[in-house]
Amino acid sequence: MLLNNMSLDFAQASGGIGAFNLNLKSFLFQLITFALVLLVLKRWVLPPLMKTMENRRLALEQSLADAKATEEALASAESRAEQIISRARAAADEVLVEARKTAEGIIASAETAASERAALIIKDAEARLDQERQALRTQLRAELAELVALATEKILRKKLDEQADRVLIEQSLKDLA
Amino acid sequence: MNKVSRRNLARYAAKRLLGGEPAGEVAKAIAAVLVVDQRQNEVDLLLADINFELESRGHAATTQVTTAHDITDKLRNEISGLVKKATKVDQVILSEQVEKSVIGGVRIETATRVWDKTAVRQLNELKEAF
Repeated sequence: MLLNNMSLDFAQASGGIGAFNLNLKSFLFQLITFALVLLVLKRWVLPPLMKTMENRRLALEQSLADAKATEEALASAESRAEQIISRARAAADEVLVEARKTAEGIIASAETAASERAALIIKDAEARLDQERQALRTQLRAELAELVALATEKILRKKLDEQADRVLIEQSLKDLA
Repeated sequence: MNKVSRRNLARYAAKRLLGGEPAGEVAKAIAAVLVVDQRQNEVDLLLADINFELESRGHAATTQVTTAHDITDKLRNEISGLVKKATKVDQVILSEQVEKSVIGGVRIETATRVWDKTAVRQLNELKEAF
């Protein structure tokens, strides 16, 4: 307060500066205070703050760079995944085509084998039928011969009397001679 | 002691018969051998063997004639002539047999030959031909 009064007096006493209503002492004091504050700030506050800000800036930049790298990696991974999927689809299509061909081949060969087997069965059946036909023919012939012989025998027994028999014997002896 | 074979026995009997020995004596000797050897069941076979030996040696042919009816003397002579010519024997002994089953014709059998001209034989051949 004393200083204030003194400064007020000084200001009133001086002509030019006093016109601005400035208190020199107070101004000096504030100036010193300001310088001190500035010094303190510059010495102890600003460097760490700047450092912190610099770190943050670096961190941000790093984050941005990381994010960009991540994005690029993601894009690359997506692209690779897309390629893998395409290749897998192509391979699956090939396998399907191959499987279809194999199945068609198997079906064709099964059909061929079945038709060959059917032909063999038919041939075998025909051969057996032929055999049976032959056997029947032989049997019929034998039965017919039996019947003919039986009929002939019956007729001969009736017709071949003693006289006819003697003639037959004479003829036989002539043939033997 | 080894048994004499039937063939050798037949040869022995034929030799003795052709030698002029009586058939009865020869028969007794043969019969004795058969009895001793307990071969009485071989009599028929032995007789057939003796006939074979006699026929082979041109002495006699025992001929079995089978017909369905009795034959005449003419036929007998013809049969004897046929057998004599074929077997080249001095003597033919005919044995006749009437068998209705032959139906007709004649069958002549010697020890070495058979002539079958019976109707039944021809019917069987007909059956076999079918």
